Amino acid sequence: MFDYALSFMIFLPILAGLALLLLPIQKEGARIAGFIVSVAVLFLGIELFIGFAGTGAMEYVEKRPWIESLGISYSLGVDGISLLVLMAGSILFPMVFTLFAPRSKGYYANLLIAQGAMAGAILSTDLVLFYIFWEIMLLPIFFMIGLYGGPNRLPATIKITIYTIAGSLLMLAALVYVGVSYHNQFGQWSFDIVQLSQLNLSGGFAVLAFLMFMVAFAIKIPLFPFHTWLPDAYTEAPSATTFVLSAIMAKIGVYGVIRFVVPVFEVEFARFALALSLAGVVGMMYCGLAAIAQKDMKRMLAFSSASHMGIIALGVFCMNVQALTGALFQIAAHATSTGVLFLFLGLMEERMQTRNIEDLGGIAYRAPIFATFFAIAMLASVGLPGTSGFIGEFLIILGAIKFSGFIGFLAGTSLIIGVCYMLWMFQRVFFEKSNSRTEEFQDFKLSEALTFLPVILLILGMGIFPQPFLKRIEPTALLQIAQLTNPPHHQLADKTVLNSDQHNQKN
Amino acid sequence: MNDFVSLLPLLTICSGAILLMLVSAFDKVKLETASYISLGFFAVAFFIQLLVTSGSGTVLFETLFNGMLVSSSFTTVAGLVILACGFFTVLNTNSYFKVNTFGSLEFYAIMMFGVCGMLLLTMSQELITTFIAIEIMSLAIYILVGYDRASVTGTEAILKYLMLGAFAGAFFTMGAALVYGGVGSTKFAAIGRYLVAHPTGTPLLIGGALFIFVAFFFKIAAFPFHAWVVDVYDGAATPVTGFMATALKAAVFTVFANFLAINGNLHGSWVTFLFYIAVFTMFGGNLIAIGQNNLKRMLAASGIVHSGYLLIALVAISAESFTGSVIGYYLAAYSAGTLGMFAALSYLGGEGEKRATFDDFKGLAKVRPYSAAAITVFLLSMAGIPPTAGFMGKFYIITSAISAGEVALAVLGVVSSILSMWYYLRLIITMYFHEAVEGFETQGSILATTGTFILVVCVFAIGIYPIVI
Repeated sequence: MFDYALSFMIFLPILAGLALLLLPIQKEGARIAGFIVSVAVLFLGIELFIGFAGTGAMEYVEKRPWIESLGISYSLGVDGISLLVLMAGSILFPMVFTLFAPRSKGYYANLLIAQGAMAGAILSTDLVLFYIFWEIMLLPIFFMIGLYGGPNRLPATIKITIYTIAGSLLMLAALVYVGVSYHNQFGQWSFDIVQLSQLNLSGGFAVLAFLMFMVAFAIKIPLFPFHTWLPDAYTEAPSATTFVLSAIMAKIGVYGVIRFVVPVFEVEFARFALALSLAGVVGMMYCGLAAIAQKDMKRMLAFSSASHMGIIALGVFCMNVQALTGALFQIAAHATSTGVLFLFLGLMEERMQTRNIEDLGGIAYRAPIFATFFAIAMLASVGLPGTSGFIGEFLIILGAIKFSGFIGFLAGTSLIIGVCYMLWMFQRVFFEKSNSRTEEFQDFKLSEALTFLPVILLILGMGIFPQPFLKRIEPTALLQIAQLTNPPHHQLADKTVLNSDQHNQKN
Repeated sequence: MNDFVSLLPLLTICSGAILLMLVSAFDKVKLETASYISLGFFAVAFFIQLLVTSGSGTVLFETLFNGMLVSSSFTTVAGLVILACGFFTVLNTNSYFKVNTFGSLEFYAIMMFGVCGMLLLTMSQELITTFIAIEIMSLAIYILVGYDRASVTGTEAILKYLMLGAFAGAFFTMGAALVYGGVGSTKFAAIGRYLVAHPTGTPLLIGGALFIFVAFFFKIAAFPFHAWVVDVYDGAATPVTGFMATALKAAVFTVFANFLAINGNLHGSWVTFLFYIAVFTMFGGNLIAIGQNNLKRMLAASGIVHSGYLLIALVAISAESFTGSVIGYYLAAYSAGTLGMFAALSYLGGEGEKRATFDDFKGLAKVRPYSAAAITVFLLSMAGIPPTAGFMGKFYIITSAISAGEVALAVLGVVSSILSMWYYLRLIITMYFHEAVEGFETQGSILATTGTFILVVCVFAIGIYPIVI
């Protein structure tokens, strides 16, 4: 049954989404169908998580040739890098189907297709397969923002689409360059990431290809200075879409860097690491400062999300085990905290038809449970000890200091900015005087509270007992860093991975 | 005798065309019947072509036709693409003539003669045969373009196309004569042998090749001979435009690729030249396409861009290992997407092609969701978004370019396809994100609709199982 678990996680939602589009189903039915599918995927995900051995190599490998003349294969696998990204996606997705007033069936179909495509991008271990899912996952976002977004949705849609596609097409050229280089060096075609990591790339084109990959991922993350599409897209998108964008899609950008850029472009990556980590820190500060100035709560959260993505990216660029582990942990933490804040905001907007910070106030007196849940997610997002956000950010800052004291210092101080805008916003929205709008604010319905409860518990759980998660990440992180810093050793490490790979295939 | 088997598809279509010509003398035969007859012939020819398998690169007719023709896996694929284009064009035409009343039986006959010329062109291996095939094809297309005598734009289109096409034909003969003067033979293979002996070429040969290139560039609408495309595509009837954009391009590119691949040294000395032609074609096409408000004009200009991509593949041809698979695949992928667009336009265009601009398709998705979805699939394929055929085609072209060391060209191709996203997305945005202003009622047969559906399946099938390679 679980031999094809990964394929199921990808294609069950995609097929369900397509079926929803084609069949005449009412919107309530579509919503229930979507919920059932996402819960099924969640169970598969939990099963995977429990059965995950944490050896550092790929597990649950599925591999069969697809386009043999170019060595492209349909190959999937999970390791410590992809596990938490995948889990964050599958845990959070059922929520978008239960919350909010029902919308048209096309909306739920798009959500499902997005879920499947994102799982595909996370699980692919073949560069071309990854690219295919990477492009597909943009389409539902395009339709969701364009069809169901806010009043200025058209410019926002065009901006995010052209921006992202420009990045991905550049990546396409770069990935073909990598494949062709492999063919030139080893005499056979392959786009498998394990094989590609044996490449020795050098010269101007290698730097160009590296930069093309980085631009594509930097746009998705979004890393300063490629973040300009983000405020518009996040603000105009419907809440569930913003949540998907911030909680999962942005993470796939970081994930792509770790999975595909680091093993292939070790030299270039090391050369540009300082500049990239500076971009991360500057992004943190810039978006943090911009968040302080926002009047629209969603726009503020958008900038806050971008700011936190800066620190996750920083964790990747520091090139040591602490920072990388922290970044991978923080990916899940950020998804459950900042991502979930967008869902809270969506509920507030649905109830009060506004998200202007000035129009709000005193919600905490009307809705104590809502305020408590919101506070926990918010504190996790600013990294309070005891919450999931602390572990990740602490590890990243630790790694950053090890990498460069200056960067570490900057990153540590700019975390304070995050505390500033979050707490100030919380004060203005949840405390202070209530007004005619917020007088009638309803607290959580039981169903809503039950939807959020697991995530809130997860935030606290990950903060207090991070070990089960870290244990699964660390072996792969060690392996990655070993590849990066110790090229002779990396050949050896590759061979072991390769052998285990073949072993899996025989089974 | 066995060698005639490879000519069977051509002979089938030819006999079909003659039959239709005879049948059209009778008043009682309806236009509808003629379209079914020609559908049948296309289907039969397509399956014969499928059955005719030949080893890749084998020159079957070296002895029989004195080296005039060649039959390889590449020409077989090109033949399949052309026959499929003919088949779907008949489907489109059938629906189109239900609301536009200038059709007559000869239309199908002439179209089939055009297909004969194209099939001959793909196989031709000698300059005079090439010229004859080009002219058979072009004469048919000239008539089809101007078929609606009452239409002013149609008349303008045929005038432009005929005049310029005649010039291109003249250039070709001039070039062929010069090459013959230099080499002493019109066979591609003989030219190749001569080039091996004289690697630098002679002035006669270089001049002759230049003229021949000009003729090819004109036919495939490459820069700087692309200006006619927009007006001609706009003026011709929608199914004819679709036919020109796909089948004609497939035929000319096939013979162009054969010409370049067989004359390896010739290709080598023209690489830089072709490089610039490809770049200017892509960007020139994009600049034209971005400004268009009319869908047919936009598709015409995007056809120029796709010619540019195919030119990238031509630049990357290596004589030693030429199988034509990249070009063949791209032609199939491009034809499926483009024909699909024209199929949808054929039945959605309405009487006198009243729905022609972007704005006319506002809110199509709200009224006819399946049509809009199909158009979206075709546009995504043309834009090269996975998992469609267009993506794999682009992937192969970029791979072949980078393998040939043309990294700069690959990157420029990618930049050009970023630019082209705008006008493809624009139609999707118009269809989906605006409110409907009309009911998009259509009359007529469901053949074009069926064709659209089959082509959607094709776009995905070719994309997911790229078996052509």
